[in-house]
Amino acid sequence: MKYLSNISLIFFALLMMIGCGKDNYEPPKSVLTGKVVYNNQSIGVRGTNSTVRLNLWQRGHELYTAIPVYVTQDGTFSALLFDGDYSLVTQSGNGPWATPQDTVKITVKGDTYVEYPVTPFYTISNENITLSGNTLTATFNVSQVTGTQALERAILVINKTAFVDENANIQRVDRMNPGTGQITMTMTITEANLKNVLLNARVGVKIQGREAIYTPVKNIK
Amino acid sequence: MKKIFKYILVLSIFIMFNSSCKDFLEQEPDNILTNENVFKDWNMVQSVLANYYGRVSWGQHLTDDFQYIYLDEACNSSGGPDNTQNFGSAHWRVYDYGLIRNINQFLAGVRSEAASGINTAQRNQVEGEARFLRAWTYFNMAKGLGGMPIVGDEVFSYTAGMDIAPLQIPRSTEAEIYDYIIKECTEIFELMPKGKTTNSARANAWTALALKARAAIYAGSLAKYNNLMNEPIRLPGGEVGIPANKAQEYYNIALTTSQKIIAESGYGLYTRKADKGVNFYEATSVKENNNEVMWARDYKYPGNAHQFTTRNIPRSVREDMDGTIITPILNLVEAFEFINDRNGALTTQTSTGEYIYYNNARDIFANKDPRLYGTVIYPGSIFKGKEISFQAGRKFLQNGVWMTETATIGTMDAQGNVITDENGPTTTNDMNVNKTGFCIRKFVDETVGAGTRGRGSEMWFVNFRYAEILLIAAEAAMELGREEAVGYINQIRTRAGIQPLSSVTLEDIIQERRVEFAFENHRYWDLKRWRKAHLIWNGIANDPQATHYALFPYKVNQPGHEAHGKWVFDKQKAHMSVHPRFFQLQNYYNFLEQDWVNRNPKLVKNPFQS
Repeated sequence: MKYLSNISLIFFALLMMIGCGKDNYEPPKSVLTGKVVYNNQSIGVRGTNSTVRLNLWQRGHELYTAIPVYVTQDGTFSALLFDGDYSLVTQSGNGPWATPQDTVKITVKGDTYVEYPVTPFYTISNENITLSGNTLTATFNVSQVTGTQALERAILVINKTAFVDENANIQRVDRMNPGTGQITMTMTITEANLKNVLLNARVGVKIQGREAIYTPVKNIK
Repeated sequence: MKKIFKYILVLSIFIMFNSSCKDFLEQEPDNILTNENVFKDWNMVQSVLANYYGRVSWGQHLTDDFQYIYLDEACNSSGGPDNTQNFGSAHWRVYDYGLIRNINQFLAGVRSEAASGINTAQRNQVEGEARFLRAWTYFNMAKGLGGMPIVGDEVFSYTAGMDIAPLQIPRSTEAEIYDYIIKECTEIFELMPKGKTTNSARANAWTALALKARAAIYAGSLAKYNNLMNEPIRLPGGEVGIPANKAQEYYNIALTTSQKIIAESGYGLYTRKADKGVNFYEATSVKENNNEVMWARDYKYPGNAHQFTTRNIPRSVREDMDGTIITPILNLVEAFEFINDRNGALTTQTSTGEYIYYNNARDIFANKDPRLYGTVIYPGSIFKGKEISFQAGRKFLQNGVWMTETATIGTMDAQGNVITDENGPTTTNDMNVNKTGFCIRKFVDETVGAGTRGRGSEMWFVNFRYAEILLIAAEAAMELGREEAVGYINQIRTRAGIQPLSSVTLEDIIQERRVEFAFENHRYWDLKRWRKAHLIWNGIANDPQATHYALFPYKVNQPGHEAHGKWVFDKQKAHMSVHPRFFQLQNYYNFLEQDWVNRNPKLVKNPFQS
């Protein structure tokens, strides 16, 4: 009797050992990385709150949903995918660019890189952010590219981490209805904020009803 | 011996056969009720209806108080900070065709032969109630999702192999669903009795008109304010987006309907108590002799009570181990005007940055809108006959600078003076310890035992009350450019005990509705229909409207100083709400699940969804 139970124990142990690994999928392991670009320049957006997104669709199924791909603050994005054919499209009414944009077809096979061209409503150029003493001065040019949306505000923000936008910041200056052309904004950084080892700054313009478009993050301290 | 057993066995088998065959297959089951059983009996009919009444509480309500933290009324006050920032794509979404089908089954039942036992008046009443609850369900669906399929009275069922195309109904337009609700309510009004029901728990004819008025004002403001946006939110088929030219028509319906209720219903504003603050509390939170509430979700002990009081009562008067789980924030408190000053901001400092010293903690709230007392328990106000004090700590001078001393709640110094009050507020992560300096009063029950887990509270949740009818009339009249608007809003303000207005703007309506209906599940839907939500909850850190604030009272402990023993206040960010509220344009309409579209390919998705 005891002999039998020993055999059955071994049997179950064996069963457990071979049971695993049989019915599992391979996880997706191809990394799709990319960048949102205009005239080969990447577009800076708000990187927090999952606000700016693109949609990735995989055709070939009758019923399907989009895979959301969130754009980070420097305009890059990434997704972990199975190999296959995908279409990258905009989310209607989302992002500081006109929607819809042309669909970009992607064949993912191993790690893949893609550029997604968009037409932003506005661009910021010739930005110059300088810190002298406790005064931060930002000069930049705003020009309209497309669309009818007015500018809601221009924003100058600083943060003590690498993430800087209208939500992730320790200090900000806003100018309402800034219009286009050259804009100069100044900020008097508080003593407490100035004590941080690292300070990053960024300017952005918020478009009415849409997200803001930002310059690249500039390290000022 | 063996023989005896044999005999017994044979005998028992014989008996078994003899007795068991009879009627075995003809027994009436006592746990399955047929349509005939239900609809021939008036009590059964009513209990089926009661089931539907129990299934129509959505959004903010008393049995799910955590929903109060998402807007700008209250924040979580128990345990660690809350990280809410965005609104979900399914936030307070209602999609309940199961309930609509059940109601249609009920309607088919009361109209069938089986219900011949109940008389015409009774049938009209329950038919009206069922159709009212159906209209209410559609209304709750529409305000989140826009136009959705209208299935009428038909009870759809599926059998294997049938053609499913007739079951797949496309979405109605947003205007159509509001039209349907308005039309249903107009018909229901004729069916139902006009008398008041017990605790206003069941709908009557006037409740149907109240829903009609509310639906009309929602549709009117959607038609107007959506089209004033830079990029109006619309779908090509009109499932979302009401044409601007319909606004006038809806505002007219809202005005005439609310005027009819005002003139004929017999409901009125509650004015039984001389003390305006107590009066306002009783108007919303006392059932006896209440002539203001038109429809409420009622609760009754035993069997149907809730824990809202147990969970949210101030700690010093609590009856069980819970309390202060959700607490009001300073934003709401400051939204209440002063009696003679429309700016409700509390003054804690002079223009030069010096503290203002108050003799009593309640003095800072002197001359506030008395409705504040009826809505919020603030430092030094009375609840359950006791003064509720809040003290975050003490202030003392060090080198000419005010320093702060705090302790765990309920701590006293050697002389027996309180350092930090039992009611807090604190900036800890403790459970059931106040973090904002206020407690909720509206819908918190003063009845003995209502704050215990064992008993719970019978407090109702108000869905419709007469004050809303007045404010709908004021808003509709204002939008139509009619002069009576100011009269309606001033009835509310006079009852509240604050100065009347001489003219009305949309901003006045927004302000009045915010304070009058705090915690009554109006604010979110109001800001949505006026398309103000994305401007107010803009997601900007430290924005005074999007960020939650707290008020911390301190007692001055500096013997010899003129302010010794007096009170000072600090306004500060509520540490329990880490992020500002961020309402994006996509939040104006809930998303449709892909699963629904899979089942019914005729559904189109909402804007911003793809």
